[in-house]
Amino acid sequence: MKKAAVLILTLILAVLQAGCAARQDDRINVISREAGSGTRDAFTELTGIKKDGTDNTVMTSEITSSTFVVIKSVSVDKNAIGYASLGTLSDNVKALSIDGIKPTAENIKNRTYPLIRTFNIIDTGALSRQAEDFVQYIMSSQGAEIIEGQGYVPFAQGQEYHIKEDMEGRIVIAGSTSVAPLIDVIADEYKKIYPDVEIEIQQTGSGAGITSTIEGACDLGISSRELKEEERLKGARETTVALDGIVVIVNLQNTTDGLSTEEVRQIFTGKRKAWKS
Amino acid sequence: MKNYSERIMKFIFAMSAAASTVAVAIICIFLVYKGVPAIREIGLGDFLLGSTWKPTEGEFGIFPMIVGSIYVTAGAMVLGVPVGVLCAVFMARFCPRGLYKIFKPAVELLAGIPSIVYGFFGLMVIVPLMQNVIGGSGKSVLTASVLLAIMILPTVISVAESALRAVPESYYEGSLALGATHERSVFFTVIPAAKSGILAGVILGIGRAIGETMAVVMVAGNQAAVPTSLMSGVRTMTANIVLEMGYAGEGLHRNALIATAVVLFVFILIINLSFSMLKREG
Repeated sequence: MKKAAVLILTLILAVLQAGCAARQDDRINVISREAGSGTRDAFTELTGIKKDGTDNTVMTSEITSSTFVVIKSVSVDKNAIGYASLGTLSDNVKALSIDGIKPTAENIKNRTYPLIRTFNIIDTGALSRQAEDFVQYIMSSQGAEIIEGQGYVPFAQGQEYHIKEDMEGRIVIAGSTSVAPLIDVIADEYKKIYPDVEIEIQQTGSGAGITSTIEGACDLGISSRELKEEERLKGARETTVALDGIVVIVNLQNTTDGLSTEEVRQIFTGKRKAWKS
Repeated sequence: MKNYSERIMKFIFAMSAAASTVAVAIICIFLVYKGVPAIREIGLGDFLLGSTWKPTEGEFGIFPMIVGSIYVTAGAMVLGVPVGVLCAVFMARFCPRGLYKIFKPAVELLAGIPSIVYGFFGLMVIVPLMQNVIGGSGKSVLTASVLLAIMILPTVISVAESALRAVPESYYEGSLALGATHERSVFFTVIPAAKSGILAGVILGIGRAIGETMAVVMVAGNQAAVPTSLMSGVRTMTANIVLEMGYAGEGLHRNALIATAVVLFVFILIINLSFSMLKREG
């Protein structure tokens, strides 16, 4: 009985000691998104993690299914590094400069920040009257103002939008979880002008949104990546709405302020494993 | 007129009776129809034993996920079953009536909490706790096991408790009459008599743990690699499906996910079979 007690005590001590040793470590904990995520596609392509069609993200990286979980995980883990869309960023994580350039709306607008992707609206050319008008509204100067207010950069300075008569009906939109919050805000403003228009937004991910647009299951698709060749061949076309920066984020306790694209690539492909190199 | 309504009601009853069986049949057909061709295309060996899952590059090995599901479920059993069974013993044989009025609804409430809420709880509470105590990212086999252990408690407790209560009172009294203490009687006569019922509870717990998705996805780390220790991240079969379904698009990737569901379905089938075999024995 006594022997067992001693054994258990030693075991507990050993675990605690191992714990302490592990806690002081300097290892980088890479957090990525699931394969097929629009954000991951754009990030790996822009940083060169994906090369010749092969995604070289390190196998030991944590995989999370949403932007929310990435940000939450980074905010509680001081060794973590992750990435998220500029518009979804919150104060409880630190955004890193890339190649010495801060991820701000300003730097995305003048295209000096290296990790920029486009937010697109997808359609097949056959649009209902209300859907076509909604796209017009998004691309107008009023739409641009809303986009800017949400922390994104409007792609084009559009014409002024003129209110039309008897606009009514339903618009079903499906696609990217990154673009949906932005479209949601624009839709709310649009519905203030036309109370008889109903807009439904389904967050299914870029790929699924494009597929359902081609199949005619929804009026408009939203996507955080550009169309692939095979999707174009099936009749899909895109309109770029806004520019978004992909921000590399770390814990607030992390002393690193910036990385180069090369360093980001090395970290996410597992070549660099510790914060202090 | 009477005959007419009789016939309508007959039809309604027959439909209701068939509903669940038809649903299971349709799910089976769907899984086989979509999943089996995918398995054939990938190759059964490469699919089940391949250790690389890179769907965008045409590599579909789900071995890490199968191992992951088994590890996490086993971990949940090791942590959850002793606690659950002892809790059931306490509730059935030792609990004062006043305390029982608090315990029983608490266990029932635990069963009713949606799994996404468990996931949030795990991500906000257990993950930071693991980071502080053990270090690392906090998302690991261990974290997922702890969370699942909590989630299977109500299943294990309620089934084990009713099994213990079903043991005839004469067993317990006979043991007392032979001079055994209350504790001895409970642990050496009542529990062995309720053995198969308790085991049934454990098997149902396994079923719940292996099928759990939303909570596990949030705390497991989801690396598609065979875990090397209790502290490394893990991806279960359910997590694999839910993570990539939305983006998979048509084609082999989606069908490979459905094929993962086929494997999961086989696991559940085995668990249910052993459950019903146990019930026949008991």
